[in-house]
Amino acid sequence: MTTTITTPARHVVLRPSHQRRGGMGAALQWEVRKLASQARTRYTLLICLIAPIAIVAVINSQQRPPKDNIYGRYVHESGYAMPLLVLGFAAQWVFPLLTSIVAGDIFASEDQHGTWKTILTRSVSRSSIFWAKTLASIGFAVLTLTVFAVSTIASSLLIVGMQPLQGLGGQLIPPATALALITASWALALAPLLGFTGLAILLSVKSRNPSVGIVAPLIIGFVMQLAGSLGSVDLLRRFFLTTPFESWHGLLVEHRFYGVIEQGLLVSVGWLVVCLAIAYTSLRRRDITGG
Amino acid sequence: MSETPLAVNAVDLTKRYGRLVAVNELSMAVAEGEVYGVLGPNGAGKTTFLRMLFGLIRPDSGTLEVLGRTWKADGPRALDGVAGFIESPKFYPYLSGRKNLELLAGLDGAGAASRIDSAIDLVDLTGRDGDKVGGYSFGMRQRLGVAASLLREPRLLVLDEPANGLDPAGIRDMRALVKRLAASGLTVLLSSHNMDEVEEICDNVTIMRTGDVVYHGTIDRLREQAPQQAHRITTSDDVAALALSRSSPHLQVIARDGALHARADQSVIDSYVASLVTAGIALRSLALDEAPLEALFFMLTETSPDRVPSTYEPSGAVA
Repeated sequence: MTTTITTPARHVVLRPSHQRRGGMGAALQWEVRKLASQARTRYTLLICLIAPIAIVAVINSQQRPPKDNIYGRYVHESGYAMPLLVLGFAAQWVFPLLTSIVAGDIFASEDQHGTWKTILTRSVSRSSIFWAKTLASIGFAVLTLTVFAVSTIASSLLIVGMQPLQGLGGQLIPPATALALITASWALALAPLLGFTGLAILLSVKSRNPSVGIVAPLIIGFVMQLAGSLGSVDLLRRFFLTTPFESWHGLLVEHRFYGVIEQGLLVSVGWLVVCLAIAYTSLRRRDITGG
Repeated sequence: MSETPLAVNAVDLTKRYGRLVAVNELSMAVAEGEVYGVLGPNGAGKTTFLRMLFGLIRPDSGTLEVLGRTWKADGPRALDGVAGFIESPKFYPYLSGRKNLELLAGLDGAGAASRIDSAIDLVDLTGRDGDKVGGYSFGMRQRLGVAASLLREPRLLVLDEPANGLDPAGIRDMRALVKRLAASGLTVLLSSHNMDEVEEICDNVTIMRTGDVVYHGTIDRLREQAPQQAHRITTSDDVAALALSRSSPHLQVIARDGALHARADQSVIDSYVASLVTAGIALRSLALDEAPLEALFFMLTETSPDRVPSTYEPSGAVA
């Protein structure tokens, strides 16, 4: 059977419709409002605020300090040691998990709820949505780290005290300098944290599965730590995303070295850029056939 | 003939998934202000076409102009003045209906938020708008989908099987709502697999089958080409009743699914029923089978092309 389309004669094309659109700012506002309305987001921030206080109180009350961990042996001697102990511990899995809770879910949840077609049928570009979600994820990562750091440092100083800190080289660091150094140490964790944010975003976009987006960065982080602990992978270890979490060690020695910090920043930025580039390209090219 | 502005102008639109041709050289012209139906069974390519219209997928070839804009030239601006939903409308289940609309209004820009109350009222969700969408029935979500579309104050409303999954009352309400919207001058592009729905609401229709267009034209023209009304008959002796039917040249009777299916003019059916009784064959039931348009729809979309009536013309006149 042949098919012939009869087109109405003498049609004219409609004048283009002019409609004010929200753009990038509206997309970011939309994403932030959505995140703020999720209980998970609020609880995560609450945990970042409360958990460090409990951790500091519990460790401080223990008779035997955790000597196997860096700065573990000094936690009763200085309130500046406790934040460094918590920082070393949190870098192992807490930070990757905190950022993945939002970044690993933020794209995949649209697939889960089938809402891609709801938002992409509203004159908003995929680029705007991508960058809005990315900025919201980065903002959440920065916020969680800040709340976690402030809570940890403040509770440590209040509970343990403001005694001078012993440096990694055995030197004694006065309180004012110690505060600046531990603040800088926590700030340095931001770079690999954002690297993990990028990784979680990539996994969220590619897997379209929130569970994978949240758990996989954590597992990848563990694998990197395990592999990094092997002696034969020193070259490879430099490029692991977990290595920059230790770059603060360079600040706590008597003669500070910054090479490892610069390298950590480069590696973190590299992970972030590569992951975001792949995720962006993938989302832009994708056919929205399900969600 | 007066000039008719086009809300949708698709020319030779094709979309393939590997070796599967989901939409094959589809051409369609939807005039402004009309209610246009895209009809076909599941897998016909209706939703694929609508996804291309919304830019969710890219056509492999062909052009598609929506309200004078194309995705290629204008990007997301091609959706200015367009609203609707694909398949069933989806929302964030952990938020209320109103909160979902507020979020979407934020994406739509200034003015959309001020239309939330009237949109909720129009789709009869007042009083339930504060409930979480996760607790909504299917019909309520469909209506919320229409409300979300109306926030954009569209000139073209695209609805993909809006009555799908609704109970009879929901179907009635949804059709009434679409009619109300159409009466306000909105151009409505409606996809459906239900001939009744399209017949009731639409002015023109494109019927699709496995990616191909098998009819394009007015409902009236399609109605003219429809076969005669079919009846389902059960008797005390179907074999004898079937044999008796062969004496009438204008009567087509086939035995299928434990009953006889007769197709003829009403007067011929009447005579046949009378002759059954005269022959001592008890008539146990007589019911309308599929409606003529529905019968034609099934012929067009399910049977092999060579079984389509010879009177059928694939292209009906639109203008």
